[in-house]
Amino acid sequence: MKSKSTTLKIIVFVVLVMLTCAYLLPIYVMITNSLKTLPEIQQRTYLAFPQIPQIQNYQSALFGSRDFLIPMQHPIINSTIITAAVTALAAFFGGLGGYYLSRTRGTFTRVIFVLVGIALYMPYQAVIIPLTTITAKTGLINSHFGLILCYLIINLPLASVLMGTFFLGIPRELEEAAEVDGASKIQTFFTIIVPISLPAYASVAIIIFTQVWNEFFIALTLVTPKTQTVQVAMAMTQGSTISPYNLQMAASLLTVAVPLFFFLLLGRYFIRGILAGALKG
Amino acid sequence: MAISAKSQKGRRARASVLEFLVFTLPLLVFLLILYGTLLWNIYVSMTNWVSTAADYNFSGFKWYSYLFSQSRFWVDVQNNLKWLILGVLPTCVAAIFLAYLLELAPFPGVESYVRTLILYPVAMSFVVTGTIWSWMYQPDKGVFNTLLGNLGIDSPLTYTNDPATATYWLIVIFIWQYLGFAVIIIQSSFRTSELQEMIEAATVDGASKIRILFSVIIPNIRSGILVLVSLLLINTLKVFDIVWIVTRTGPGIATDVLATNMIVTAYDQRLFSAGAAIGVIIFLMAFIIVIPYTIYALRKWFE
Repeated sequence: MKSKSTTLKIIVFVVLVMLTCAYLLPIYVMITNSLKTLPEIQQRTYLAFPQIPQIQNYQSALFGSRDFLIPMQHPIINSTIITAAVTALAAFFGGLGGYYLSRTRGTFTRVIFVLVGIALYMPYQAVIIPLTTITAKTGLINSHFGLILCYLIINLPLASVLMGTFFLGIPRELEEAAEVDGASKIQTFFTIIVPISLPAYASVAIIIFTQVWNEFFIALTLVTPKTQTVQVAMAMTQGSTISPYNLQMAASLLTVAVPLFFFLLLGRYFIRGILAGALKG
Repeated sequence: MAISAKSQKGRRARASVLEFLVFTLPLLVFLLILYGTLLWNIYVSMTNWVSTAADYNFSGFKWYSYLFSQSRFWVDVQNNLKWLILGVLPTCVAAIFLAYLLELAPFPGVESYVRTLILYPVAMSFVVTGTIWSWMYQPDKGVFNTLLGNLGIDSPLTYTNDPATATYWLIVIFIWQYLGFAVIIIQSSFRTSELQEMIEAATVDGASKIRILFSVIIPNIRSGILVLVSLLLINTLKVFDIVWIVTRTGPGIATDVLATNMIVTAYDQRLFSAGAAIGVIIFLMAFIIVIPYTIYALRKWFE
């Protein structure tokens, strides 16, 4: 028995070292090199610390400079507007739809559930041409509303299923008591269910936020200079050979800062959301 | 008396219609738009829309046979198959192994450390992951070859610049990004009291740890594995960002997949009908993949 647990310890230790290298290397290289000067980058001592941390690299990435022609400032504002709007609307409507899915059992509910289930995994390529046409014909493509509409269409099914999964775990007795007192279903939902489901809303909001913030395909297709999102701007810096690695890494960190901040601060909600999305919550 | 009872009943019926609409209307409207655009796209794939101006004249399956006659389409299919197999199988095996190791972990704090360590990529976009990895993969100035050079190894690897192996290197990025997600899902299916009791009983009987993994745990987490495999299959089928960012389908079209071909065909070559047809093909493949998962979800939801 004892020898066995020693082998186990060795295996665990080896795996831990391997995982630590594999997962810390990219983020370490990203952070340290985003703070270096260009000559330091050209020396190719990628693992070394920066001699003097170049905070102004972030200024260049944010506002643009001679070496960095794609300032991230406006894309970050655009992405914030679009993502915040989609997250709020998807969580609100998804709560309503998810509550219906979790509280009714008829054939109609099952049909909707199947439609929602397939919509969860709808490949964007299968709907992008009509979405382009709709947003172009209505002129929505010229404002943030175009992307907001598209993301809402794509993400509402997910938000509904996530919220529904959480509502399934709430005992019915609470609502039954309220209904005996004569409250309508709508009143019950807003006065009893919503207040106790705030952690669930937080999980769903984080998942939807991350998904929309990180989305690239639709944003790339529907991009206009006025509504360019962070991911599209980031892809442009990557595509151009002129932007030096230190500024590219600074821009990368600006792009991931918000979702990564949510993850590190609210990891528990994040994990709960992932599990609810896998219908395991 | 009778009249007031009737009007009360009518009011209640009206109230329940209102309730129904408040809860379902937004979801139904957006589902309608989504499936409407899907049907619209299917129709576009059977028209002759080949320039910036839309053309909705029906022309049958012309563009499907056009696609099937293109060698690029078959390169895509091959690459998509590589993604489906190599993106899913190793991730699942590694996730089961890691999740079990975390259950057995003899040191305190290992679990929360590993969770944070391997889950943070879930918060990052493929655009950023692709940016950093394409630098790491660079043959002459890249991080990997520089580090290998510092160790005195003159690395012959050119990673994503080598047409024969480029797709595999892209798949490595996907696995790196999704491993934490996979571990979380497998771990949660370990945490049922029935399974924990079975493991305990097997341990008392003197079964080895490896035996327990293969004959107790794996057969009892089948639903967790089904969920994970379905989610990974869908995500590898839809893969677009990594390819677009790291290799832009190159070298040549060596790493092209259906999703990247779709955008090139529709938006660069302006063959919108052919692009729509690729969209339909991706949808059909996705549909087949989600069937078992949807049946499982239906059962679980309405049990």
